Amino acid sequence: MSLIAPLALLAAAVVGPLIVAMYLLKLRREERPISSTFLWQRMVRDVEANAPWQKLRRSLLLLLQLLLMLLLVFALARPFFATQGISGRNLIIIIDHSASMGAIDEPPTRLEAAKQQAYRLIDQLPDGGRATIIAAGGQMAVPAAATSDRRELRRAVEQITLSNAGGSDLAQPLTLAAALAAREEDSEVAIISDGNVTLPDDLRVPATVSYFPIGRSTENAAVSAIALQAGPASQTLFVQATNYGQQVTERRLDIYLDGSVFNAYNLTLEPGREQSIVAEIPAQVQVVEARLAGEDPLPADDRAIAVSTLGDALNVRLVSNGNRFLATGLALLPGLRVTTVPTSTTVFTETVAQVPVTILDGVVPPTLPPGNLLFIGPVRSTEFFSVTGEIEFPVVRPVGGDDPILRNVSLSEVSVLKAARIVPGSWGRVVVDSDGTPLLVVGEREGRRVAVLAFDLHNSDLPLQVAFPLLLSNLMGYLAPGSGAEASQLLPGQPLALQVDETIGEVRVTRPDGVTVSSRNGAVQIQGGQAIYADTEQLGVYTVEEFAGGELVARHRYAVNLFAPGESRIAAQRDLSIPQVSGAQSTVSRERDGRQEFWRWVALAALIVLIVEWLVYQRNSLSYLRERWRQRRA
Amino acid sequence: MTEPLLDSTLLKKLDRLAILTRRAMAGDIQGERRSPRRGSSVEFADFRPYTVGDDIRQIDWNLYARAERFYLKLFVAEEELTVHLLVDTSASMDWGTPNKLRYARQLAAAFGYIALSNLDRVTVTAFGASGSGSQHAAALPGVRGKRGAVPLFGFLQRLSPSPGGDLGKACHRYIQTARTPGPLLLCSDLLDPGWKDALSALSSRPFEITVMHTLAPQELEPDLDGDFKLVDVESGTPVEISADLDLLRRYREHLAAWRAEVESFCSGRGITYLPVDTSVPIEEFVLGRMRRRGVLR
Repeated sequence: MSLIAPLALLAAAVVGPLIVAMYLLKLRREERPISSTFLWQRMVRDVEANAPWQKLRRSLLLLLQLLLMLLLVFALARPFFATQGISGRNLIIIIDHSASMGAIDEPPTRLEAAKQQAYRLIDQLPDGGRATIIAAGGQMAVPAAATSDRRELRRAVEQITLSNAGGSDLAQPLTLAAALAAREEDSEVAIISDGNVTLPDDLRVPATVSYFPIGRSTENAAVSAIALQAGPASQTLFVQATNYGQQVTERRLDIYLDGSVFNAYNLTLEPGREQSIVAEIPAQVQVVEARLAGEDPLPADDRAIAVSTLGDALNVRLVSNGNRFLATGLALLPGLRVTTVPTSTTVFTETVAQVPVTILDGVVPPTLPPGNLLFIGPVRSTEFFSVTGEIEFPVVRPVGGDDPILRNVSLSEVSVLKAARIVPGSWGRVVVDSDGTPLLVVGEREGRRVAVLAFDLHNSDLPLQVAFPLLLSNLMGYLAPGSGAEASQLLPGQPLALQVDETIGEVRVTRPDGVTVSSRNGAVQIQGGQAIYADTEQLGVYTVEEFAGGELVARHRYAVNLFAPGESRIAAQRDLSIPQVSGAQSTVSRERDGRQEFWRWVALAALIVLIVEWLVYQRNSLSYLRERWRQRRA
Repeated sequence: MTEPLLDSTLLKKLDRLAILTRRAMAGDIQGERRSPRRGSSVEFADFRPYTVGDDIRQIDWNLYARAERFYLKLFVAEEELTVHLLVDTSASMDWGTPNKLRYARQLAAAFGYIALSNLDRVTVTAFGASGSGSQHAAALPGVRGKRGAVPLFGFLQRLSPSPGGDLGKACHRYIQTARTPGPLLLCSDLLDPGWKDALSALSSRPFEITVMHTLAPQELEPDLDGDFKLVDVESGTPVEISADLDLLRRYREHLAAWRAEVESFCSGRGITYLPVDTSVPIEEFVLGRMRRRGVLR
């Protein structure tokens, strides 16, 4: 223990003698003439028999006053304990509130433990120091910016809630923290997290970075995947459970169909391995829930939900002269109802709501059908693109990194005989090209999604490869968002998008917690033929209802599951490697010169002494009151 | 002169009262009280054989006719009574609200007036050092009859407090100089270490003593809170106290014990003890308490 302002102790040297002097002056008693001291003298003789106690009683007030003075002076000297903590005057606290912080290995949760740590850091903040609170993970938030108001800081910390959305990306918060730290001299960044975060590679933080690891457990098992495929007469359920811990664990996987138990499987999960279950379930089941029974530190990922897509198949119009590859590929995709139309058709009467997607296989009608379009080997220009000729033996080369259209698709073995040389409009995004000539273009124009595959399938060996059904699936997923088995599952925070036509007046979303929001009050947005609901942080089933003129016309269910291996892997990291201005990389908490001031407690003690002193001074009135009380009782 | 000691309505009421004596006492001259001596009243007392020198007029001739011997017929003598009023005028008496000395003067005036209206003799003596340091008491030697009320009241009015005094010595001297015993009224606060001495001195002669133990309400219930230096107005002796409820409670216990001690001391010597609280109106005290205690009738 040491003192920040030891000079304040000098005050004791001044005030102490002053109190004693005043006390001695006070001892000169008021003179009062009385008739005779005859009786008093006799009594004082009695009193003097226990004189030492009397003397002490007389000077009790003096002692209390001196004690009070000493406590106050001690508080003024600002005593502190050296603690492990922070010492900077400009503190930036980054609190991880990603899903993994919901683990309960630090009771009650890791997030609460992190908040407690944040409170401790705020308490250690030197007087006049300022702090910024950054909530990292998912959507970054700054609930308190550069304030020295401890109450506001505590409130800001208190208001941080768990966020299931997004991962634990520290790049953005750290960049912000670095920018804030660069502005002030004595800055310090404190990261309170379980360490399962992604860090930026190229950032050098101009401050000391302290990392306060939260969490001790490493064991966690999760339902890592669930899928419900609609078949002709029944549905196929696929559930996968993964052990993210380091020890073999035995768990029971319970399957609930529409809320009632269907089956239970005992699983023995090797560390780092997964096990899957495939089961046939009746067609009328709407919601399937998989639950890992028993307890583990992170309960949020022990549960996953799939919703049935049986019945709400997507109508696809195929304008073709018969394409066996395409017909077979489309038939393999679940949830599609394909209607083949001869190429001679020129008038399309169905609305977008009835047939949202049209595939034009080697034909371009004079009037394009409404809805989203997939051109395959177009023969002439349209309003979306121009065909300027043909190229022979184009080299198939994907553009850019990981376009969702090309997910799991390998085009390296694909050869193409000839393709149309197309020039897309500005709406298009080239996904595959050949020396500057686009082979696959996707894009969106006036709310319509369009994809153009430049070559006829018959002029390529693509249909013979594994890539074809995958590419077709991805394309259909793009062209018909919000449909199919895959579309019925969302990640937390992923916006829920649904194709609607202009007849739909209202869209209502019922959240897992039972709250219903509507497009009428703006919670659900309808624009460009899409209804969008973004607040999908909660895990569970979202029910979307479409109303046209007050009547329910369609109901869809969406499941939001926490499928995030990064969050399920909860083992806390002991160190984060962050380049700092000092050249250090490690952020392990070392003994630092944190100061835990406790003058407030000393001042509190002084207040108590003051009250005691007052009570002692007023003891006459107190005993008078006591006597009165006793009399009243009697 | 300040206001009269007793107002006229009270005096009228006092006219109806008389001082009670428990036994007959000898007086100097003829009066209205039974005396232990034989004298010339109408009340028969005794017969006595004639001896030479007796007044032959007192011989009972009827008895001589029967017994053929000379017998004297004796009658009860009726003589006056001397009422002794002793007023403590030490400085400690000149204190308190209502003032103790004034109360004592009023008591003495009332008692003296009753005695005078019964044709008794009244002597008043003020204790305390009157004059320059001498221990001589101021005294009114003796007045008789209702005419004597004027000098009595005048004397009492003129009494002034004296700075000090020794109650014991004063009583001793008074006992030695007093001629005829009679009812004796002592008005004092007894706040003197020699109070026992004084009372035993008075009781050594056959006076019928009544002690008016006069105390002011401030002495019975001291109004003190805090640290004080109490200075004796008589001796100037200081006593330092820190008055709190506890101390005051012990003071009251002490006072009660002391009064009990005085009372038992008095009853052991046939002295009537009357505690006086000066906050009680004089009329109520004289007409009520003193009659109830059998001092007056």
